[in-house]
Order: sequence, then structure tokens, then C-alpha cells
Amino acid sequence: MRASPEPTGTIYDIGYRSYEGPRLGRRGAIDTIVRSGVRAAFGMGRSGRSKVIPWGAVVLAALPAGIAVAIRVLVGDIVELYNYDNYLWGIGALLPIFVAAQAPELVVNDMRSNVLPLYFSRPISRRDYVIAKLVALSLSLLALTLLPLLLLFVGRVLAAEDIVTALGDEIGVLPGIVGNSLLHAVVVASIGLAISAISGRKAYAAGAVLALFLVGSVISQLLGAPGLGLEGLAPFANPLAILDGTREWLFGGGAAESPVGAADVPLWLYGVATAVLLALSWGLLALRYRRVTT
Amino acid sequence: MPLISTRALTKRYPGGVTALDGLTVDIDEGVIGLVGANGAGKSTLLKILLGLIPATDGEARVFDLDVGRDGPRIRALVGYMPEHDSLPPDVSATEFVAHMARVSGLPTSAARERTADVLRHVGLYEERYRAIGGYSTGMKQRVKLAQALVHDPRILFLDEPTNGLDPAGRDEMLSLIERIGRDFGMTVIVASHLLGEIERVADWLVAIDEGHLLRTAPLGSFTERTGQLIVETEDDAAPLAERLAADGLTARAEGRALLVELASAPPSADGNEYAVYDVVRDHAVDLGLPLVRIEHRRHRLEDLFRDRTDASAAVEGGPDASVA
Repeated sequence: MRASPEPTGTIYDIGYRSYEGPRLGRRGAIDTIVRSGVRAAFGMGRSGRSKVIPWGAVVLAALPAGIAVAIRVLVGDIVELYNYDNYLWGIGALLPIFVAAQAPELVVNDMRSNVLPLYFSRPISRRDYVIAKLVALSLSLLALTLLPLLLLFVGRVLAAEDIVTALGDEIGVLPGIVGNSLLHAVVVASIGLAISAISGRKAYAAGAVLALFLVGSVISQLLGAPGLGLEGLAPFANPLAILDGTREWLFGGGAAESPVGAADVPLWLYGVATAVLLALSWGLLALRYRRVTT
Repeated sequence: MPLISTRALTKRYPGGVTALDGLTVDIDEGVIGLVGANGAGKSTLLKILLGLIPATDGEARVFDLDVGRDGPRIRALVGYMPEHDSLPPDVSATEFVAHMARVSGLPTSAARERTADVLRHVGLYEERYRAIGGYSTGMKQRVKLAQALVHDPRILFLDEPTNGLDPAGRDEMLSLIERIGRDFGMTVIVASHLLGEIERVADWLVAIDEGHLLRTAPLGSFTERTGQLIVETEDDAAPLAERLAADGLTARAEGRALLVELASAPPSADGNEYAVYDVVRDHAVDLGLPLVRIEHRRHRLEDLFRDRTDASAAVEGGPDASVA
């Protein structure tokens, strides 16, 4: 330890020590960017104010599951507000809110303060950087998608009279829960990250993400209005409805409230629409980061 | 095997600007000054070596690895301090440098330890816990240097490291670079258009101009003594030249001065290298010609760029020359 801070010059100079320890290379680098991305997504290491939206969204997303479980335990099997199929549609609005607030935290700062050359002169490629950020935001979104569904699952099993039998009955839904959660997380994260990366400023990015989902939802509702005969188009204006359709296509089970039921189009179309959303988002990201001058 | 080697390396930017034009150079260990005018291709060369931009043509190898194919492996063992501002304003130096150490592949505990070490070496103490946004330019330059050093690279690339610093800050930065080259066991490549600075820190020079290699040699050879004696007199020196010629010495006028070729002097009996000085002095006294100076002429670093009117405008010689 130094005896005192020295504005006057070095007092104890122990000399330069070289580093002989392990170097984790590209994987270590990606791992670091993912971890710091998740921290940024939850406002960790920041002021309390930056934690309000992400943690608030996590709590709100889990609240219906908590209530559903409580009702099941206290009252029994009489009402079922939420099940695995309609849950993510029900809390859907929280995903864009979370992503609008947090996706810019992951990418805008690095771009605005010109830190990217320092990243790209380390053992990663530009693509590694973008993928790490995508993974970070997707993992963070699992707190809003997977966590409540698992809560619902655990609650249903524990509330049953015969836990072992209930576990046997319910265990089959796990792959669907995980798959559906991942689907929502990855697609919403990709859209949010792409818009943030091209927006350049946090406020613009947040506004643009919200606008996309809000406008999409409004258009979807207008198209779905009875009497217009456009119900088949309605879900495709809203990314969350596209995701719900894809969920139904992959894992089955309709959500009564979503426009997917009324649309009555082949479900694989939702899969195509999801693929288009992903391709657009990833293409935008690739273009944007190729243009970063170092 | 040289540490860095390029073969016919060419970089043309879209829009037709040719930054590097068939550059072939080998660079070995040491503190290497990469000198050239603004726009000579220094930054472009560094960025290609780092794999940040692809070359249009030719080959570049670092640690005998191809920069195009083995970029990540090379970049694990090099450090880069870019020319321009590149720090996030809202995190502390400690946080930022430790993060960059981990992105370089260091495990967390090692990253933390080395961050403390390196920040102390670059001279950041209590202020390292404050957000970088409030730092002076000098402090920011130190953070940029620290993030380039933190993973103990084998090669350190510094692009105009004294950019924007006041004279005192520049002096400290140069001392730091000298120390890194001497004590840290790293090869340091310093790109600069300020010859005075390069002269102070480098032991080897790579001079490039308009994307070509101008010369690569030890610094000493750029400033070594020429084989000429420069003789300056107050009056016309022509009679002196005649006298010297009669003695078998080759002398020609350059401006008001005479240049005497030392090689043309007969070896003196006692091996005294000043024998020629004596001959010149005696003739001058004889002719009653007032002598201003007799001096062994040296090359100057600026001579390298002197005949290149476009380049010389931007390569600045004096130690205190400011950034153009």
C-alpha cells in the first residue's frame, strides 16, 4: 500500500509486474460483455432511479402469476385467469416497455462515446460484440417471460394435493414454457437492440421502440375491428401478436384475447413473419456495426 | 522472425483515397517511432495491424500471424491507444479499465489487480474512482493509455499519444512512454507527426510518406554525423576552397558555407581526427578570413522530409511544435 496519495510524484514504486496468468481470449471477452450487458439491463451499478423500470417490469410481469397461484392455493381450481398459453400475451405490454428503457443502455453509450474501437481492438469481432449484446438483452428479458411462467408452473405443482402426480402431469409443458419464453425474449430483444443501435440517442431509441409496438398494436386493433373483414391481417401489424401466433404454431394452445384466433390464417405464416422480424433486426444491426468507423 | 511485417500492403478507401500504397516493412522489438505527415498512412497502418480495417491488398503479419485470419489471437496480445476521444463519460477509470481488461481476456480478479497497478503506473490515484467525464484531457489520455496496458500486451500501439496535451502533459506522457519501453518489456509503436517527440522516445524509426516506406533505421542513423565538415566564414570563402583543393581536400560551397569532405583528407600521422580542422584554421588565418564556425555536420530528422514540400508542411520538427 502507498503511505499517502502523491500529487508530488511516486514514492514507492514497486516497478512494473508482467502478467503470466490465464488469458481467456474471445470467450472471456464475450462472457464479459454479456455479463455487463445484463447488469446494464437491470440498472445495476447505477442510481436507484435507473432500476425502477427494469425491476418494476419484472415485478409486474410476475404479479399475475403470483395472484393466480395464490387463488389456486386459497380458493382452489375455480377461476383460471392465466395459463401458460395466454400469459405472455397478457403481460405483453411490459416487454416493449422494458426493452425501450433498457436496450439503449446496452448499445447507445458505447456508440456515442466512441468506445467501440477499444472493444474491436480486443480479441472479439464486431459480430461477437453484437451477438454478446443480443444474448445479454435476451437473457434479461427471460426475467419477464420465463420467470413468471416458471412461477406459475411451480405454483400449480405445489398447490396440488398430490405433488408427485401433479409434477408428472405438468412436466410436459416445460419445453413449451422455455421455448416460448426464449422466442419472446430473443425477438423482442433483437427488435429493441436494432432500433436502439440506429437511433443514436437513448431518448430517441426509447421513443422509437415504444412507438413501433404501440403503433403496431393500434393498427392491429383497427384492422381487427369487426365488419372490416381484415381480421386475417390484424395480427401481422403487431409484433407481439406475431409472436403469439408463432407460439401457437410451435407449441399449440390458443390465447383467447389475442387477434390470432380471429385471424384464422395458417399458423406457419406467423413463423415466417417472426423470421422476417429477426432477419430485419439482425440485418439492421449488421449494417449499423459495419458502418462504425474505428 | 520480425514482430510485425508487411508486404506490399495497400489500403484504398472508398472514394479513391489511397492511404497505404505497397508498404513493405519489418518491425522488430523496441520503441518504434512511426513518423510521417498527417495523412501519410500511420493510423491506417495501425488499424490494419489491429485488424480493425481490412487491407485492400498485400499482407500484414503480427507475431507471424495473419491479421485477417488471426485477428482475435493477435488482439489478445496487443494494446491500442487510439488518437481520438474514446472513453465513456459516466463510469470511473477503475471500472472502465477493469472492464476492458476482462474484455481482453483477463479473469476478474487479475483484471482488478492489474487495473490498480496500471492506473498507478500512469499516474492516476484518488481520481480513479470518479467518473471519467470530469477528467482533464491529460487524465483522459492516461486512462486511454491504461486501458491499452492493462492486459500486459506484448506490443503497444499509440496513435498520437500527446494529442491535445499542454507542454507539461506532453512531457509527462513522453516520460511514461520512455518508461514503458525501458521497464515494461513491451514493444511500443508510437505514431506521431511531431519529430521532436519521436526523437525523444524512439530508438528506431519507421518513416512513411504518402503510403510508402521512406526509410526504416535506428534513430541514431537519422541524426548521425555526416562525413562533412561545415566551415562558415564571414567573407567570401572561395579563396579558402582553392587553398583546400590545393591540399587535396574536396570542398564545395553550400550557400555561404563550405562543405569539406572528411574522406578526402589524408589520414593524419597521429590519428587525430581534428587534423583537418587545423588545416582549415591555418589557411583561414593565412588568408585573414574571419571564421564563424567549423563543425562536424549532422543529419537532422527533418532532412528526411525536407525535400517534400507537401509533407514538410505537416511534419513539425521542434520539440515544442504544436499540433497543426
